Amino acid sequence: MRSPGFLGGRAPRKLQPSEHPTEGSDSMKLLCALVGILVASMCAGQGLVAKKAWTPPRTADGQPDLQGVWTNATITPLERPADLAGKAFFTPGEAAAYEKRVVENANVDRRRSDISADVGLAYNEAWWDRGTHVVKTLRTSLIVDPADGKLPALTADGERRAAGLAEQRRLHPADGPENRSLAERCILWGTAGPPMMPGPYNDNYQIFQAPGYVAIVVEMIHDVRIIPLDARPHLPSNVRQWLGDSRGHWEGNTLVVETTNFTGKTRFRGASENMRLTERFTRTDPDTILYEYTVKDPATWTKPWTAQVTMAKSNSRVYEYACHEGNYAMTGILTGARAGENNSAKAATK
Amino acid sequence: MRSIKIGLAMGAALLSSAPLWAHHAFTAEFDGNKPVKLRGTVTKMEWINPHAWIHIDVKDADGKVTNWMVECGSPNTLLRRGVTKNSVTAGMEIVVDGYQSKDGSNHANGRDVTFPDGKKLFLGSSGTGAPGDTPEK
Repeated sequence: MRSPGFLGGRAPRKLQPSEHPTEGSDSMKLLCALVGILVASMCAGQGLVAKKAWTPPRTADGQPDLQGVWTNATITPLERPADLAGKAFFTPGEAAAYEKRVVENANVDRRRSDISADVGLAYNEAWWDRGTHVVKTLRTSLIVDPADGKLPALTADGERRAAGLAEQRRLHPADGPENRSLAERCILWGTAGPPMMPGPYNDNYQIFQAPGYVAIVVEMIHDVRIIPLDARPHLPSNVRQWLGDSRGHWEGNTLVVETTNFTGKTRFRGASENMRLTERFTRTDPDTILYEYTVKDPATWTKPWTAQVTMAKSNSRVYEYACHEGNYAMTGILTGARAGENNSAKAATK
Repeated sequence: MRSIKIGLAMGAALLSSAPLWAHHAFTAEFDGNKPVKLRGTVTKMEWINPHAWIHIDVKDADGKVTNWMVECGSPNTLLRRGVTKNSVTAGMEIVVDGYQSKDGSNHANGRDVTFPDGKKLFLGSSGTGAPGDTPEK
């Protein structure tokens, strides 16, 4: 599936979520045929918005240039909230009102009366960097397919695995570091990808391109994903990697990356190790990459699903995130769990 | 009527949007039943990831000094907001309103860290706070 016709800017969208312009309705084909080559070039693929397509610059070796630092920070949720059912896009006015309210509501400097929530919010607002805008497309969810903006239903196997993990966490919350999340162990951040998703801070990525390769530096938690472009085969299926095994190729100005060979512990949103990920990077204007990914994992979801995030050019740089160096928290969590067990044992002997 | 509906819908949507989780579960490390309010003098600040730690000396009523460690967030975020190592120096007096660690050690989270006059120790940027809105100095 191709991206709908996103051409940047914050103008109201004409597209509806069910539309897939590349498939081309009969009326669209007729229109293109009638108005000649110039307009046809706009109609082809994505031309529902009458605006001249922007052509990205090229690297020295001829690749469309995606290089630079990009941020995908946004307040748009992955799934469309139930109360926005049937509404795929905001108008600019609705988006502004939504942004204002979400940002005010999320401000953690306001203390919460629920003690658990208050502890969980951790520290002052200045440390957080969740983004302050909805995605540039003004969509109400990152998920664009299914059209309802929701994750497809889990398969029976997906449900069974999720329940098994929940039970494991309940029985063994903190016996040792292996019981804690990959993020807490400084191994892999759940939204750092692939696929790359907005998180609470450090949503920064730097893309480098060299002949035959694209490399993506991910600030959280410190990874560099190296993507060969030479059509070499994937690694053998018995070789499994935290970030999977990525292969890229260009389709016009779009970088398409296929990733397989994930580990059974990576589990992106509960996915199995056989998840197959297709990412599409399209620079739609000097300051924007439209990033789209499709997750195929028949062991986990009843059908594939696709999400879109707009990435904005950043004036910042990617800082080192040397997570292991200062991860005192892991010690604190484990000693806290031991203290809790001792207290329970004392209470039981009284 | 339609705008009212959309307004209500967006209000409800707030509950399910905006990711709100730190690098690790603070509820696993700190005890909601042990709120602490510490007024002390900064001895040092560790600008480390995943989370920065501020060390403070706290003097009790008898004059006994205890060193506490206060957990904060990722320093990368602060750097983007223009806060530098010179922003927090030894000798500064601060107030920490947070929760003590579950293991009973002198660790607390810096749920709300202020100067004694109530001003926030770290103010956000004057922009929106998005990295693209706060060019590096």
